Amino acid sequence: MTKEEIINRFKDKFGPDIEISEIDQPEPYLYISKQKFHEFCELAKSDPQLDFDFLFQLGGVHYPDDRFEVVLCLASHEKNHRAVVKVKLDKDNPEIETVSDVWQAANWFEREAMELFGIKFTDHPDPRPLLLYEDWDYGYPMRKGWTGPDFIPMPEK
Amino acid sequence: MGLIEKAPAYIERLPGGGIVTTTMDWVFNQSRASSLWYMLFGLACCAIEMMATGASRYDFDRFGMIFRASPRQADLMFVAGTVTHKMARRVKLLYEQMAEPRYVIAMGGCACNGGPFYYDCYSVLKGIDQIIPVDVYIPGCPPRPESLMEGCLKLQQKIKKEKLSDWASDRKKA
Repeated sequence: MTKEEIINRFKDKFGPDIEISEIDQPEPYLYISKQKFHEFCELAKSDPQLDFDFLFQLGGVHYPDDRFEVVLCLASHEKNHRAVVKVKLDKDNPEIETVSDVWQAANWFEREAMELFGIKFTDHPDPRPLLLYEDWDYGYPMRKGWTGPDFIPMPEK
Repeated sequence: MGLIEKAPAYIERLPGGGIVTTTMDWVFNQSRASSLWYMLFGLACCAIEMMATGASRYDFDRFGMIFRASPRQADLMFVAGTVTHKMARRVKLLYEQMAEPRYVIAMGGCACNGGPFYYDCYSVLKGIDQIIPVDVYIPGCPPRPESLMEGCLKLQQKIKKEKLSDWASDRKKA
């Protein structure tokens, strides 16, 4: 499917909950509201025309103006198209439903985002830390302004 | 017989053999320096360069250096690559499992002081010398095989200056 076809297909189902980014890329970039996020992912995977069977990246983002987003990069092996899906989260309580029941690959990506950004994925089947060492107790290191033991910030030029 | 001619030794030839009088220091140091078996252990891209050095083109074997896949049989550890805090405690465990005398070469910028991960990094140890003693530092990102070999020759020179009495006094302290 072309970029326009994918956008229209999503718009048919989730009209007001979708916001399209005006970005000059071959694949569509779209924001979905937090309430419809899980439903959206289920549709993206199960719809025979969209057929997004492959989640190749899920990551958290902390922007310098102090807001959180979760970014999903989806692809379809069969249809050979891609999409980038973003969700805006609360600044004080970043929380979202897990999609590891839709794509198995999301399991570890979500664990990573959980420990590095402090984004909570509700109903995650295995919310243990993934990458940091066992007795890590210094907060979420990928957040802006984080400092910890042994941390040396880049000196100003 | 090149080796024996360089030795600080008194040689008396007898029919069918000879008697060599030399120092224990020399015998031990020569044996240790000429068979530095290193641990098969790499952490990041420096390990690729270490493998290249061990392979036939650069050929570590000619210094008597052969890799061993167990810390119990190894004399030398190359810390080849980025040491994360999570890996640091495993590196320390491996070092402690090696039998004495044991030597450590910090290979590359990451192992020397954190290298490119010195600033703005939450996960990388700023130098392996914070947790284990290091004999030779080799800068580079990664060092060329020639640098690695020079580091090993420097270590051999260092070993040849050792005295058995130093080891004995170390043991008394421990």
